[in-house]
Amino acid sequence: MRGPEKEDLRELFERFVGAEQANEAVEDILKGEQILRDNPAPEPDARLIVSIKAQIAKELALRRAKASRWTFFRVAAVAAVIVIFASIGIKLMHREGKTGQVYISSMMPAAIWESSNITVDDTRLGILAAAVEEIENEFTHLQEGGNGRNGEKTIEELETELIDINSDYGKGQFVWM
Amino acid sequence: MITNDELASIINGCKNGDGECFSRIVDIYSSRCFGYFYRLTANSDISDELLSELFTKLVDKIGSYKGGSFDSWLFRIATNIFNDHLRAKQRRKKMMEVLMTRREELEEVMESKKSEGEVTDRLQVQLARLDGGTRELIMLRFYSQLSLKEIAHMRSEPIGTTLSKLHRGLKRLRELMGC
Repeated sequence: MRGPEKEDLRELFERFVGAEQANEAVEDILKGEQILRDNPAPEPDARLIVSIKAQIAKELALRRAKASRWTFFRVAAVAAVIVIFASIGIKLMHREGKTGQVYISSMMPAAIWESSNITVDDTRLGILAAAVEEIENEFTHLQEGGNGRNGEKTIEELETELIDINSDYGKGQFVWM
Repeated sequence: MITNDELASIINGCKNGDGECFSRIVDIYSSRCFGYFYRLTANSDISDELLSELFTKLVDKIGSYKGGSFDSWLFRIATNIFNDHLRAKQRRKKMMEVLMTRREELEEVMESKKSEGEVTDRLQVQLARLDGGTRELIMLRFYSQLSLKEIAHMRSEPIGTTLSKLHRGLKRLRELMGC
């Protein structure tokens, strides 16, 4: 350990003054310091030392508590960030899955769309087709001057019947009588 | 006497918040630091306060100790604490001067305050007759056990100035003590 006793005072003084003066100065210093050693200052009270140590222990405990609180908050913050990023990632993945798929919706069932004979594969369309064919036949018959009834009246009846069929078909209630 | 390696190990313990290591530091340095404060203030109550403050600051600042002479580092803190105390005392004195209108009353109060904590050992009386700077230098040298080079560095002055002040101060003290 470094200390005053290990220092060469004479050599230090000789940097500034002559050898004789240096010797005197060193003697003054050593005798002066001897006075201090002969008259020691009082020692600190033992209770003071105990109190200081207790104060230090309390301070260290407070610091430890503070440090653990900070650690907890840091871990919680990191966990929160991870959870937030994870949930954002999951949402994005879902969204990406949806955008990657093309949903094709059609008003027409695939069976009908792919059918080579609609009137056979769809009963309702078959009935409608039969009704239209029946009306067509009636028109043809009337044009040819058939059944001897009042022509105007018959056309009106057909028109009404056609409107009813159209309306019922629109409502999905069409049944061929 | 503690070796440098032991001291380094204790300081490391302190840096890791080991209470036992701080206790050992208190045991090693309390006597010297108390002596330093006591010889500068001549008051045990104030020295008690300053010593407590020193070790509280040590807990705060130990992280900033980056090696080198620990004694020098610790006594630098002690010197700063003492200087802060002096400045606070000056402020208190000025406040009192403002409050007290009559000089006699002020002197009376100051005298009684001074005598309350003053210990009348002969050395303390003679030390009070030295100027503050010289007294501080002598005490720093004696209690910190630092080399003159370290003390000069701490006081930011050339070593020749430190050497000269120390010599004159101790010579004067010898004369005052009649030795």
